Amino acid sequence: MEFGCRDIASIQAGLRARRFSAVELAESVLARVHAQDVRLHAFLEVTDELALRAAGRVDSAIVAGAFDELGPLAGVPIAYKDNMNLAGTHTTCASRMLENYVSPYTATCVKRTLDVGAIPIGKLNMDEFAFGSSTETSAFGVTRNPWELDRVPGGSSGGSAAAVAAGMVPVALGSDTGGSVRQPACFCGVVGVKPTYGVVSRYGVVAFGSSLDQVGPFARTVRDAALALNALSGRDPLDCTSQECTLDFTANLAQGVAGMRVGVVPAFLEAEGLSAEVKAKVEEAAEQLSRLGATIVEVELPNAKAAMSAYYVLGPCEAFSNLSRFDGLRYGYQDAGHDDLGGQYEASRAVGFGPETRRRIMLGSYLLSSGVYETYYYPAQQVRTLITQDYVTAFEACDCILGPVSPTAAWRFGERSDPRSMYLSDMFTVSINIAGNGGMSVPVGVGAHTGLPVGVQLVAPAFRDANMLRVAAALETVYGPAPTAPGFASERAGD
Amino acid sequence: MRAVSEVLCDWEAVIGLEVHCALTTLQTKMFCGCKLEFGAPPNTHTCPVCLGLPGALPVPNKAAIESIVLAGLATNCDIMRRSLFYRKGYLYPDMPKGFQITQGPVAFCMNGFLDLHVDGPGAEERPDPPDAPQADGGYVARIGIERIHLEEDAGKMIHVGGDGGRIAGATHSLVDYNRAGTPLIELVTRPDLRTPEEARLFLQKLRRVFVALGISDCSMEKGSLRADGNISLRRRGSDGLGVKTELKNINSFKHLHDGLAYEICRQAAVLESGGTIRQETRHWDPVSKHTIVMRVKETADDYRMFPDPDLAPYDLSDEFVARVRAKLPELPDQKAKRFMADYGLPDADARILATRVGLTGFFEAGMAIAGDSVRMFAKPLANLLVNDVPAAVGTDESFDLAASPLTPARAIELVRLLVDGSISSRQGKEVLAAVLRDDEDPAVIVAARGMAQVSDIAVIESVVDAVLAANAGQVARYRDGKRGLIGYFVGQCMKATDGRGNPRLINEVLARKLDEQPPAHPAS
Repeated sequence: MEFGCRDIASIQAGLRARRFSAVELAESVLARVHAQDVRLHAFLEVTDELALRAAGRVDSAIVAGAFDELGPLAGVPIAYKDNMNLAGTHTTCASRMLENYVSPYTATCVKRTLDVGAIPIGKLNMDEFAFGSSTETSAFGVTRNPWELDRVPGGSSGGSAAAVAAGMVPVALGSDTGGSVRQPACFCGVVGVKPTYGVVSRYGVVAFGSSLDQVGPFARTVRDAALALNALSGRDPLDCTSQECTLDFTANLAQGVAGMRVGVVPAFLEAEGLSAEVKAKVEEAAEQLSRLGATIVEVELPNAKAAMSAYYVLGPCEAFSNLSRFDGLRYGYQDAGHDDLGGQYEASRAVGFGPETRRRIMLGSYLLSSGVYETYYYPAQQVRTLITQDYVTAFEACDCILGPVSPTAAWRFGERSDPRSMYLSDMFTVSINIAGNGGMSVPVGVGAHTGLPVGVQLVAPAFRDANMLRVAAALETVYGPAPTAPGFASERAGD
Repeated sequence: MRAVSEVLCDWEAVIGLEVHCALTTLQTKMFCGCKLEFGAPPNTHTCPVCLGLPGALPVPNKAAIESIVLAGLATNCDIMRRSLFYRKGYLYPDMPKGFQITQGPVAFCMNGFLDLHVDGPGAEERPDPPDAPQADGGYVARIGIERIHLEEDAGKMIHVGGDGGRIAGATHSLVDYNRAGTPLIELVTRPDLRTPEEARLFLQKLRRVFVALGISDCSMEKGSLRADGNISLRRRGSDGLGVKTELKNINSFKHLHDGLAYEICRQAAVLESGGTIRQETRHWDPVSKHTIVMRVKETADDYRMFPDPDLAPYDLSDEFVARVRAKLPELPDQKAKRFMADYGLPDADARILATRVGLTGFFEAGMAIAGDSVRMFAKPLANLLVNDVPAAVGTDESFDLAASPLTPARAIELVRLLVDGSISSRQGKEVLAAVLRDDEDPAVIVAARGMAQVSDIAVIESVVDAVLAANAGQVARYRDGKRGLIGYFVGQCMKATDGRGNPRLINEVLARKLDEQPPAHPAS
């Protein structure tokens, strides 16, 4: 079987038994990426040299008998969303603005995977600066959904979801500001986790909404996602919003859900725009969990309906400020030849940024301007407090909340051209970023109507991300691990 | 234009200062681990954080927070337990993130004050001193402090090809980000200052306080202390506020005074001729001695301030504040009071010794050596430091007391020789000059020059007897009323003792002996 289609345990068992070397593994994965990615365009850069060097180090450890000292991702091929700095590689954020930008340093989340033996395969496509839900705003072309190539992979971490769903890498990292890990994971039928805000360091991840952004893993099994979280999590002195975290995320995966209370939010299932097949899948998942011994309880999130409004105030405000640094002076796209600084700034940003990025910047600039700030930003922060409190209250009655990720399965390219309908696709995910809780998408088979993958969303109390992983693992026993997308499944079965 | 003191009889000046002080004594920058070093080769102390590279995040420097809390405690501020860092947006090449991290409506330090003692000729600028005159003819003014907040400095722009580094006419500009991210505190006064002299004294006092706290070198030359002055005029007796102008980036006490004085006169002239003041930023040109318009403010700047989401709200614990309070050194005002109380020094001496940076430590070291004699030695040591040393040094501006041969131990030795009468005050000045020139101990100099006074009463009496015996004629004339001859007798006694006789004793003994012996021939 292709290495990219395997899980971490199988790869590590093979390396440990020396059935293949890490260099052979890396070469095989790189070859597959080069061959298959022409169909998908999940990768913006393939880091052959870095991969082979890292693999060489893993092989040295194997020879020295020190393989097991490397850590949870020893020998695991991994790829990163292109908003994560990896020294010596391009970090473009899928924007013309950073087309030629080469990172001089490495993000903490990337470094932590490399420190525990992961093999870096490349950088993955995304919506420009993570503004989008379909990866269509990438300045370098769309990524295709491996399940049906005329459909979007979701976004903004569309490249990450597609690469894992197509069996090119077993693990990829994405970032989630309003659903950007969970929604593409749902569209591509893989596991995608957005941990509680603060579990993973944001240092070195190009910021979109600093108070909302959180890095998380994509994988095809819950266990692989949990192993990645073990490597990623924990306090980073370079990010003062990161938190101490000594949890073993794999510890209670096999415990089952007997005795757990799983909440469902009736208002979510009645929401306008929720497709029948997604609704059916959520209800089916609830039944399965109930059958496995969980108690299903109804919980209310009365203020969640205001989450979208708050999100589209807070997100653009923070994005406006975070993107102010891209002035084309020290790095990035420079529209030269202007004789005044203002003109150069304006032209560099007008050309360097795509339309969605410009839209968010203008929105944020307006929302933060004096006289307007008081009317929007401040109430949005108040809404945030209320939603956070809603989750605290809801989690008094349950250990985990089950619901939809996206109202629909993946749509076709160009199908959602007006920004508002695109924004609404995040209606079930943004409130979790607003509150800061952990949330994840776990695949539950394909939709009855479209035949496309559907995921359900699990939400955990703050810093109790293990709860949702435990429920996800139980669902995995019912639905099985995420399959490789049909058109990309390995030709050679077995190994 | 009229003199400022004259203008201020008709107009009241309302002056507020914004003072920026770089926390130069810290090791690292405000939000990253880059070293703070003035004058390093350009862009050698930079990292992803202070260069604002994509993905980099700020981590606050705890030592800087300790410094600003010290500043707040020393200026009578309330220390706010909870405050936030904000982002203040502006696009300019010296600010690599496109925003400056600063504080919002609540700063670490709020609502403080400093009391100014205004005396000397500068006190006359104010026709309406706020309280009863002090003994020295000066007055005390309490200047409110609105807030002190913590922020990061910008990089430094160097404009090339133009006139004297100015942007006008420059062909290109260079940026040095070594300064970017330097921890700065900004102190904003209430508009309580009324004269240029008060503004100057406030800034000087603030500088002394910050230096005493050890939070900054406060070098105006290096730009680690800079001030902006806001000034407007109103008719005497009116409560309203006039339109203000702002004098930016003033880097000397004299420029602050002179720039404000000029603005007072200029604004008065404009207003008196029926004109209006525009709200604008002006620059004081010390060469041409007038202010020049830099920028007219048509509308308020919109900095799009909002709380920095990368930095959690700051909660200072009571324990932290107590710990910082315990580190507060004695401040110049407290020191002056102690010098008066403990050493019996007069107010003027105490203030000079407590506030002149070079003198304070020296004086205190001297007092530490003086042991039980502090009250006896304090005033002579003050005289030595305040009067004799400057007189001996003259106009040598390179003189540095700390590096000079006069150590506190030698100064006390000299004072002891003066107090116990071993040498005269004239000889004291000679010894001081010799110490400074030859780097010798006073006792060694006194011995080598045979200067130690003869104060043995028996010796003096015998000398006096011998002199009187040898000058019987003069003695008779003296006793006949030629009292002026006393100087002659003293001179003879000094000659007989090689100039070492204690003049006071000689005078006493002479007077006694000349007066006690009855005249041989009673006057008729």
